[in-house]
Amino acid sequence: MATATSTWLTPPTRTELIENLVSGVDRYNPSNVGILEDYLYHQIRSQEYDCLANLAILKLYQFNPDLYNPDVVVNILLKALTAAPFPDFNLCISLIDDRPVNANPDEPDPLPQLLPLLTNLHNLIHQCRFPAFWTLYRSDSLESIRENYTVECIGFEDSIREVVARAVRATFTRIGKERLGSYVDLQGEELEQFAARQGWTSDSSNFVIPSNPDNQIEAIVVQESIKLPQLSKVIAHSTKTQ
Amino acid sequence: MSQQRMALWAAEADLDEDIHDVDISLAMGSSYQGAAIYEEAAHQPSLDESALLAMAQQAAFAQIPDVVKRFIVHFHQAVLDNNLAEITAAYESGWNRLTEKYYAKTEWPEAEIIAPLVNDDQIFLILYRELYYRHVYSRLQPNIDDRFHSYENSCELFNYLLNSDGPVALELPEQWLWDIIDEFIYQFQSFCAYRAATPTKLKAKSDDELVMLSEGGTQAWSSYSVLNVLYSLIQKSRVNEWLKAKREGRSDEEIGEIVGDYGARPLYRMLGYFSIIGLLRVHVLLGDFTLGLKVMENVELTQKSTVTRVTACHVATYYHVGFCYIMLRRYPDAIRTFVQILNFVLRMRQYHTRSYQYDQINKTADRMYALFAICHALSPSRLDDNILNIVREKYGEQVTKMSKGEEGIPAFEELFLYACPKFISANPPPYDDPDALAALIEDPPTEPAQRHLTLFLSDVRAHVPVPTLRSFLKLYTSLDAAKLANFLDADEEEMVQQMMVLKQASRSVARAALGGGGASEGTEGSSSLSLLEGGYINTSDLSFAIDDNMVHIAESTVGRRYAGWFIRNTEHAQRVLDGLRASPLPGTPQQLQAAAAAAAAVKGGKPQDAQAQDGAAPATGGKKVAWGGAKVAA
Repeated sequence: MATATSTWLTPPTRTELIENLVSGVDRYNPSNVGILEDYLYHQIRSQEYDCLANLAILKLYQFNPDLYNPDVVVNILLKALTAAPFPDFNLCISLIDDRPVNANPDEPDPLPQLLPLLTNLHNLIHQCRFPAFWTLYRSDSLESIRENYTVECIGFEDSIREVVARAVRATFTRIGKERLGSYVDLQGEELEQFAARQGWTSDSSNFVIPSNPDNQIEAIVVQESIKLPQLSKVIAHSTKTQ
Repeated sequence: MSQQRMALWAAEADLDEDIHDVDISLAMGSSYQGAAIYEEAAHQPSLDESALLAMAQQAAFAQIPDVVKRFIVHFHQAVLDNNLAEITAAYESGWNRLTEKYYAKTEWPEAEIIAPLVNDDQIFLILYRELYYRHVYSRLQPNIDDRFHSYENSCELFNYLLNSDGPVALELPEQWLWDIIDEFIYQFQSFCAYRAATPTKLKAKSDDELVMLSEGGTQAWSSYSVLNVLYSLIQKSRVNEWLKAKREGRSDEEIGEIVGDYGARPLYRMLGYFSIIGLLRVHVLLGDFTLGLKVMENVELTQKSTVTRVTACHVATYYHVGFCYIMLRRYPDAIRTFVQILNFVLRMRQYHTRSYQYDQINKTADRMYALFAICHALSPSRLDDNILNIVREKYGEQVTKMSKGEEGIPAFEELFLYACPKFISANPPPYDDPDALAALIEDPPTEPAQRHLTLFLSDVRAHVPVPTLRSFLKLYTSLDAAKLANFLDADEEEMVQQMMVLKQASRSVARAALGGGGASEGTEGSSSLSLLEGGYINTSDLSFAIDDNMVHIAESTVGRRYAGWFIRNTEHAQRVLDGLRASPLPGTPQQLQAAAAAAAAVKGGKPQDAQAQDGAAPATGGKKVAWGGAKVAA
């Protein structure tokens, strides 16, 4: 049975080489950082995502501050944003905050400026404040992130819309078109197409979301179920005393 | 005093020569050189001084109480004989008793001074120093010399174990092996906290200390060297392969082939196993919660661990696994983990009071109650009412506050900081670069615990609207969104967005969804999968959906649970029956009478016992007394 976490733990797109790095002791070898960084850029170009491999990069940076590359870190964080509501973003942050001050004044480190912005974006997504997310994302203060990073990250905006779709699918049975539009920052034909891709049908002012385990309501009385192992002692005893 | 200590270490130079014969290259080798530089920094004693020193050493030797000398000789002999029972007695009671009596406030005699007692046995001296430094760390204040030397001593020990020709014949009790790994990581963490460059800590350091930190500090206790030791022990012992083979139910012969010469020896296997737990702990200290759970891949979390009976190890494992789950926002898994181990600690309490680790275990348990309180606030469940009641007793005030949204955040903060691991930074401050160090003091980095607190609180903040929304929804079966917004005095659109947060808070990834289920101990379905696996579960009894602008709500209820009560009492009745059958048949009329009286006593005890529910212990105790009385009568 595929579990909810199996793709997260081992994405089907992960190669054997990467798998060995992620799961073996070789993950600590600084000379492997290039392989993992290349893999990150591959993820960015081909809309793949491998959190554990990216955490392995951050781990190498944590232990070897001289390897640190702020562009890689920003890209990892952008990828992690699209994993909400899973905690990937914070898992990444817990490894990168642990970094001494950049000693090279010629090449100013962009991360200290960008990090608060990225954190704000993450908080808005995490709190499902999607319209506010788009407002911030489109604002002037995020110009550098848009122009230097997300433009390279293929399908970044669509991945955020997938986050929205997951939240909406779980909560709504019908949602107003205007409301959904503000969540995904789309209007008119584009919005209709987005909803159609999700398999949501359209009536005059609403999209209808098919029922799924999360948006169905049911008043259940949970009855206790007794598993065999719970009774093992009792049964074992009765056979022993016969 | 400090002058004398310094000189004593310097005089140790020729002793070091001997130890150098053992190849200490591995990864720790370079650090040893770092320490050698530092040795030079200490005063080189002149000839006269060394003569004086010899006298001082003799005087120090003469001062050792005879009983301590006898103890050391005896201890040494036990280690030489690999006599586990004697070693355990010396380790668990002798050492602690003498510590209380003679060394409650001072160091034990230095290894060099007692060396003549043990024929200069270097291996025993390494073990002795292991105890010596642990005593310094736990009872006294370690200075920088102690910190570097305890590191070197650990390296020598691990080096002896890993780089001798083949496995060494040494045998040590499990408890001691656990303590070696545990202490190694504790000292690592303690050193990292010590070297952290907060302005107050820097001011407290002398110039000598700063010099030593700049020269030896980057190598000694480096994260890489600590990980290297743990991984080496794991690989050498093939403990992961052993665990896997055990789970697959391989035969002893097959397992013997799989684990090889090292893994066949209990010393290596246990060190390997404890190193896995050690790795979990180091990863948590460094803020890598996924990796922490990943290294536990082959370890089964069950109550009846067949691997070790070391309680401290058991408790530490669950504490760190539970904490990882919190940081992964898998609160139901964290709750289950804490419930299991807290029940274990409660049961163990009656047997374990004599142990010197009892205090430590209790402290960790208290922190887990605090973590449980946090998880419960974020994801209420009724997995175990008993634990929940204890939590309410201990942290009632915080529990109330945490259910109150924004104003509860300080309570989360308080409990988190109290109960979280002592996080560390992976890298030392730049002691070798005065400019960078000065810049660091100008603009000090956030302390690790504060960083993780901030991350954790970001999730708590996202949860803020949840309790209020939930309590309102419970009152309705359907409700207009505008009306609800009106009640809450909130903007309608914002309130609808908060409903999505509520939805997210009502579901979670959990191992329980993998077929394990139930509050009982891990069943086969879930325990064979990595701790990181999980499926979706609903964590709330409240389900709702929004149809355009209308919120529909349904509440699930849990039927009363009888099974646990019946199972417990059936098992109890069986134990009583067993007790009756095992007792001698009545012979003479007097005995018969006495037995009847005793049976009445058992009967009388029963209802009361069923009420107490916790158990067998008082019942069997009472019965024994009754039968004992009968015998006396006969």
